[in-house]
Amino acid sequence: MARWGMVIDLDKCTGCQACTVACKEENNVPYGSPRENRQRTEIYWNKVIAVSRGEYPSVNIEMIPMPCMHCDNPPCVQVCPAKATFIREDGIVVQNFRRCIGCKYCIVACPYGVRNFNYKEQAEEKYHRPDPPPDRSVIGPWPFPTRTHGVVEKCTFCFHRIDAGLKENKTIGTEVVPACVESCPAKARFFGDLDDPESIVSQQVATRGSFTLKEGKGTHPKVHYLPK
Amino acid sequence: MLPDNNSENSPAQSSEEKQSDGLVISRRTFLNASAFAAATITASYLLKKPEIALASSADEPPYGVVTDKWVATSCLNCPTRCATRVRIVYDKAVHIGGNPLSRVSEGENCPRSHIGLQVLYNPDRIKSPLKRTNPQKGKGIDPGWTALSWEQALNEVSNRLKALRDRNQAHKLLLLYGLNTISNEDLINRFAAAYGTPNAISREGLENEADKAGQWMADGNYTTSAYDLEHTNYILSFGASIIESQKPLARNLRMWGKLRRERPNRAKIVVIDPRYSVTAAKADQWLPINPGTDAALALAIAHVIISEELYDKSFIQNWTTGFAEYRKLVLGSHSPEKIALVTGIKADTIYRIAREFAQTRPAIAWRGRGATCWPNGSYASYAIFCLNALVGSIDVPGGVIYQEYPKYKEMPAITDDSIAREGRTQTSLDLRRKDKFIAAGVVTNQAADSILTDNPYPIDMAIGFHSNFNMSAPNASRWDKAMAKIPYYIHVAPAITEMAEFADIVLPASTFMEDWGYDHCPPGSGFYELKLKQPVVKSVHNIKPTGDIIFDLAKRMGGSVAQSFENIGNNAEGFVKYRTSTIMYWDNLLQKGVWAGTNYKYYKYYQLFNTPSKKFEFYSGNMEAALKEAGKWTGDRTACLPHYEDTKFLGDKTAYPLILTSYHPLLDVDDGNQNYPWAQEIFMVMHGYGWTNFVEINAKTAGSMGIKDGVMVWVESPVSKIKARARVFQGIHPQVVAIAQGQGHTSCGRWAKGIGINPNDITGVDYDYISGQSALFNTRVKIYKA
Amino acid sequence: MASDFVTIEGKSKNYRAAVIVFGILALIGLICFALSYVFGHQLFGSSNTIPWGMPIVLAIYLIGLSAGSLILSSLTYVFGKEEFRPIARMAVLLAIVLIFGAMISIAVDLGRPEKFWRLFMFFYLNNMTSMFAINGILYGGYFVISLVYMGIILANQKQASRFMGILAVCWAVLVHMGTGAIFGFVAARETWFSPIKPLEFLSAALASGLALLIVVTLLTLKLSGRSINKGMIASLANMLRMFIILLFILIVVDKLTHLYEPARDATIFMLAGEYAWIFWVLQIGLAVVLPLAILFHAKLNKTIKWITVASVSVVIGIFFERYYLVIPGSAYPLHFYPGKIEGVYGAVGTFQIMPAEMGLSLGILALLALLFLLALRYLEALPPKPMESPQPTAASPAPSASATQTTG
Repeated sequence: MARWGMVIDLDKCTGCQACTVACKEENNVPYGSPRENRQRTEIYWNKVIAVSRGEYPSVNIEMIPMPCMHCDNPPCVQVCPAKATFIREDGIVVQNFRRCIGCKYCIVACPYGVRNFNYKEQAEEKYHRPDPPPDRSVIGPWPFPTRTHGVVEKCTFCFHRIDAGLKENKTIGTEVVPACVESCPAKARFFGDLDDPESIVSQQVATRGSFTLKEGKGTHPKVHYLPK
Repeated sequence: MLPDNNSENSPAQSSEEKQSDGLVISRRTFLNASAFAAATITASYLLKKPEIALASSADEPPYGVVTDKWVATSCLNCPTRCATRVRIVYDKAVHIGGNPLSRVSEGENCPRSHIGLQVLYNPDRIKSPLKRTNPQKGKGIDPGWTALSWEQALNEVSNRLKALRDRNQAHKLLLLYGLNTISNEDLINRFAAAYGTPNAISREGLENEADKAGQWMADGNYTTSAYDLEHTNYILSFGASIIESQKPLARNLRMWGKLRRERPNRAKIVVIDPRYSVTAAKADQWLPINPGTDAALALAIAHVIISEELYDKSFIQNWTTGFAEYRKLVLGSHSPEKIALVTGIKADTIYRIAREFAQTRPAIAWRGRGATCWPNGSYASYAIFCLNALVGSIDVPGGVIYQEYPKYKEMPAITDDSIAREGRTQTSLDLRRKDKFIAAGVVTNQAADSILTDNPYPIDMAIGFHSNFNMSAPNASRWDKAMAKIPYYIHVAPAITEMAEFADIVLPASTFMEDWGYDHCPPGSGFYELKLKQPVVKSVHNIKPTGDIIFDLAKRMGGSVAQSFENIGNNAEGFVKYRTSTIMYWDNLLQKGVWAGTNYKYYKYYQLFNTPSKKFEFYSGNMEAALKEAGKWTGDRTACLPHYEDTKFLGDKTAYPLILTSYHPLLDVDDGNQNYPWAQEIFMVMHGYGWTNFVEINAKTAGSMGIKDGVMVWVESPVSKIKARARVFQGIHPQVVAIAQGQGHTSCGRWAKGIGINPNDITGVDYDYISGQSALFNTRVKIYKA
Repeated sequence: MASDFVTIEGKSKNYRAAVIVFGILALIGLICFALSYVFGHQLFGSSNTIPWGMPIVLAIYLIGLSAGSLILSSLTYVFGKEEFRPIARMAVLLAIVLIFGAMISIAVDLGRPEKFWRLFMFFYLNNMTSMFAINGILYGGYFVISLVYMGIILANQKQASRFMGILAVCWAVLVHMGTGAIFGFVAARETWFSPIKPLEFLSAALASGLALLIVVTLLTLKLSGRSINKGMIASLANMLRMFIILLFILIVVDKLTHLYEPARDATIFMLAGEYAWIFWVLQIGLAVVLPLAILFHAKLNKTIKWITVASVSVVIGIFFERYYLVIPGSAYPLHFYPGKIEGVYGAVGTFQIMPAEMGLSLGILALLALLFLLALRYLEALPPKPMESPQPTAASPAPSASATQTTG
């Protein structure tokens, strides 16, 4: 079984946020409002944070795209009382809306702040993807087409694309990638099987001093970063 | 130990899942737990939902079956006009992706392309033609719109057009246009010519005119430059926000990735900008420069390159003229030690980047808005462009290259009559060329003053195509007054913007997602690429493509105007088909959406230079000729050399100690509207905030004034003052404050109105008098707590 | 054997007024809940930075009170301290009402409260590595055990009540330590992450439970016109003093440990940041300094009035301890990446006081007060009035009836 992972090359990244927008487009993630932005109740499956260091004129601001880290030891899975979030065999940490009771314990436990609570009913938009799931059996965690308020949601590594791609015998990582990888104009993101030493992600991880976020937490994220 | 069972494998669980989601359980819990009033609200809500679900599920095909198609079209959320493919599911556009056939951006798009969905399905769009009932015009005054049929609206407009033309006053028609497809621009200009008005005014005078004039002085091509990013090793960016707003953006983004880590050598990028832009953040070095002194720095760099003999001797010898004079100017008074005092960049640093630039070839000196939108911006542009010639980066791999354009089918000449001929020879409203702005292509911001002063003549009627100068032009309130003064104004756009509020008639044009058009990029790729626009979905509103509106108006006009629009396709679709027929079969084009030209060929020196000497000129013969033509030639040869003059600022330094700068963040959607939540919510990426903009102040400066991060302050210029939230920031020159463009809308719709501030409200009016470029960054301001 | 406990008559004006007022407040709370259920938690002040708000503050606070009060009842039933017998029944009753309130609070804080039952599908649908799921067992068990315990006490079964008392006390200790573990086991939030949290919670429970018991006892006895045993109150106050000291030691140890890396920044924010006044004034001031000053004062600690003041101060102070833990405790931004995170992701979380959330919280408290009042009316929980003869009532069916009513 594959172990899907992502590599984000911060040197190639231009901070354009195409990943953020493409993710919203792909997954029908609701948009927010000024109040929600300040309050931080907006939903992002992928966000870009700006981290600054130094003082004028020696300033450095890095823009770090942050999807769900899909940890090998996900704290969210450990604390979820309802088995609503679980780690699939291929390493993707998934949230099942139907099981989620909305206790928010996972939001508390996530060291990366990638989990979002649905604070309101989502507005219906014409551009929402209406796709039914490819398979009746995955109706549970399927994030489309509509969501209810009161449950927690997060990045799925676009598992619907991966699952469909595998069924069609496509190569994951080249032909089929998550929406954020696909939309990245600088091609700063790579997706593939971390267990396969030949895969593009394994190669990328080996090119430079790759790192993961908050390594000390022992979460073993599957999203790796390459430094500038 | 982690639980990893999942419902797919456990039938017991999944049967239980179904129960939990049914109505039964939730209702039971409810009735048990609650009192009537609250329960009734909630229960009715609960009862309602499943009904909807049932109804919709009946319409939809069974699981796993999706009827979808991909339509090839292109984007128009910025002038890059990237090719896209739109996924249509159940007749609705749900996804916009890159078109892999496009070579300009190698099939990649920037985030703005995805926002096309919200442009198309913007709930605040105009749904039918509108007519004003309130005769009083002004900012914030309700026009009292009433709906109109297309027949009525077009009749009224064409009658008025006809009447004006019959009075022999065709030049009193003003056409304004913002961001349009190339095909619509062609139609607008053809309409202007056929009607007989010299007044077709685009927004370019707010963007890139000085940039163009700099290149014109050097090599005779009045254009922005294309840079061969793919092969370059060193980029020296003078105020160019390469990955934020410089066009063609998507190509820049793609190439950024390429020149960083997809080649054996990693290009070095140095950004010179008083503001720490996203480009500066992602570059290798940021050099904050005293605002308005880029030309001086360019000359100092030239000083080092020439004095250390690092320049490309063979290119200078064979393909340039005026080098001796240039050399004398540069060596005479532009030593790095001296210029360090002007620019605030240390002499050591100037030496270092000059040597790096000359020795890490191919290298590019990139002039951006930040360096050129100043009085004398043309000279800054010229001075920076000359650096490319010094190191031989002209039409070489990795240097400046010369954009090619698709060869559309030539249109037949317009049918002229005396009215048209006479009208066209009138002085243009923007006083371009010999009147005031020696080399100007268009002087957008001058139009407002001309309207207000009736100079050279009063304007009787105006049509605005997707324009919004009431937001985007400096000292925007002048446009409010000017638009209110125009007796009859027709606005053609998909949404009510600030400018549309002054209209007598609003004609709802289609968005680029429903429009027909052909397009190509601004200079960037070198090779040409044609992009098609075709409607991706049938529009739900009662709208027309801009092209159809123009064709229709021309037809209703009759006479020579109507004749000029015959045999070129008869409508927007036909026009596109007609014009592209030389390039590609129609069906093929509809399917592919893109036609890219052959690979770019370098070293075409014999045909590049459009100057008197047919060479690259360090002393501009074109400029000398233009000055003579305008009768402004004084014999001062410096006026034709790339030189630096102390920048003139608007406002007194003691009263207004700071300098206002503005910039376009990437998510400032370039179409004059900002009613797109996806763009709004991640608007200020460097600051981590959405749905706003602020006045960015250097931390030390703010500290000395006792201004804390997040407090409200007044930003006052000699023009006006606005109240803004202060953002205390390390990444900005101590004497500069920056405000992002794109916010401060007072119209446009629910997601744009009332958010943030518009820097153009307080920017003063000044120009680069060579190119007519509005000076955007030389307004002084003061800041105090609100 | 005739019970030496009685119900109250519930005919007085004050009683009726109280029932009506609490009833209305509870109804407002219910409406607030219904609104939040329909419109979502946007009506609450919580956010993705501060995910838990007032209901969770209330929940852990009420659990604390409940566990504390139940543990105190054991003094009589387990350790045979007869001087506390008059208030022992009330302690158990209070414990039941409070744990019920805690569970309601948790339920209304859920995004999907109709899926509350999922917390109780032990081992079947629950992930037993989750402290929430384990606490599901603890709370559920606790509730059942307390009910049985109450029933046995009401039926005056001495032996059985001793046995149940031991069980209930041990369970109560577990309940509260489990609640502490919800916070103590979360590594992502550095100021929470501590093995001492369960003990800190336990000591806070004992202190606040006892303080509330003192207040409620005094209030009930006084309002229902019964005599107050000064000696008993004084010795309760004595005990309170001990618990406060224990709590204080644990707080100090906790904060001191956290002043070392990696939680240092967050802890400095907690002790000196913008919300620090809640800690120093409301938590340390009201829960530790003021009561200790009173209770160690040679004269003041003998007067009912000042003991009441001290107890009320502890009850409020510990509420703010919980508030401070849950809300400002999660406000300090997570540091995903070295440096200063700009904008909303690096900003200290804000918690807005929202009307629906406050109405809901007040409603829950009012509901508990209402239940307690009704229980006093129907259950023999109070010591007899000195002038009255005890009224015989059917004791055993009552608790189960009340139980069905409250769980419905």
